[in-house]
Amino acid sequence: MNEVSRQQAGQQPQTTDQQAREPQTEPAMLPPVDIFEADNALHMIVDMPGVTRDALRIEVDNNVLSLEGDIQLDMPEGMSAIYAEVRAQRFARRFTLSHEIDSEAIAARIDNGVVHVTLPKKQSHHRRRIEVQAA
Amino acid sequence: MFGDLRRFDTGPSRGVDWFRQLMDEMFPESGAADIRSVPRGSYPMINIGRTDDAVRVYVFAAGLAAEALDVSIQDNVLTVRGERPQARSEIEGGEAAYFRRERGSGEFVRTVALPDGLDADRAEARCRNGVVEIHLPKREELKPRRIDIQAA
Repeated sequence: MNEVSRQQAGQQPQTTDQQAREPQTEPAMLPPVDIFEADNALHMIVDMPGVTRDALRIEVDNNVLSLEGDIQLDMPEGMSAIYAEVRAQRFARRFTLSHEIDSEAIAARIDNGVVHVTLPKKQSHHRRRIEVQAA
Repeated sequence: MFGDLRRFDTGPSRGVDWFRQLMDEMFPESGAADIRSVPRGSYPMINIGRTDDAVRVYVFAAGLAAEALDVSIQDNVLTVRGERPQARSEIEGGEAAYFRRERGSGEFVRTVALPDGLDADRAEARCRNGVVEIHLPKREELKPRRIDIQAA
């Protein structure tokens, strides 16, 4: 999906905001993600090696959660590549949120290149136990 | 950075890797593959760069503590070995239902061939933000040397 939306953005014949769009057109890698549900919240674990806390951007816009991170490597001057599997300078991935997520309460932390996003459900969607009354 | 690597790139970006993998499975390469080559997207990914006096290996091992990774060099073959715990055990709490599971877990071993003439005794490695950097200096006699031209 990322690829598709990026291509569409590039096809629009607008040149005025091309500058603002520039970082978006840089090639990005899709980071691998685990998503699971626990404790009335969804948890996302995203691998973004080389991304520092300052280089990580997490946004919710119009019910779409987007994660972007720039890879920061310590590279000496004049280095040339002899082999590479990581060929982009950033990670990017987007997800559509479902309505039961409380987008105000989303929290994230990054530790050793792993991003953990907690997406709590709204109170009205919490799991409830229903008492069965004796007849 | 590794941006200039794109000239080494032979295909589109990694976003279409599932398609490439599917095609690789359907039409296995008829030619000879590098004996240590791995499918794209293996964990951890590795980049290697070269400067005049050293070779640097970047191991993109997100979520791996420095002590959980074992790096060894023998005859110019670098071996990276380790184990990554499952994501769920990082979270305290009860039952978890997975919707998506793309990150690998468990043991892994990767080997890469390095150029000749590296001084493994002076190698250094450090871990930062989920990337392990291994610095391997070249042996003195292999460093580029400037040759003075004498006037006749």
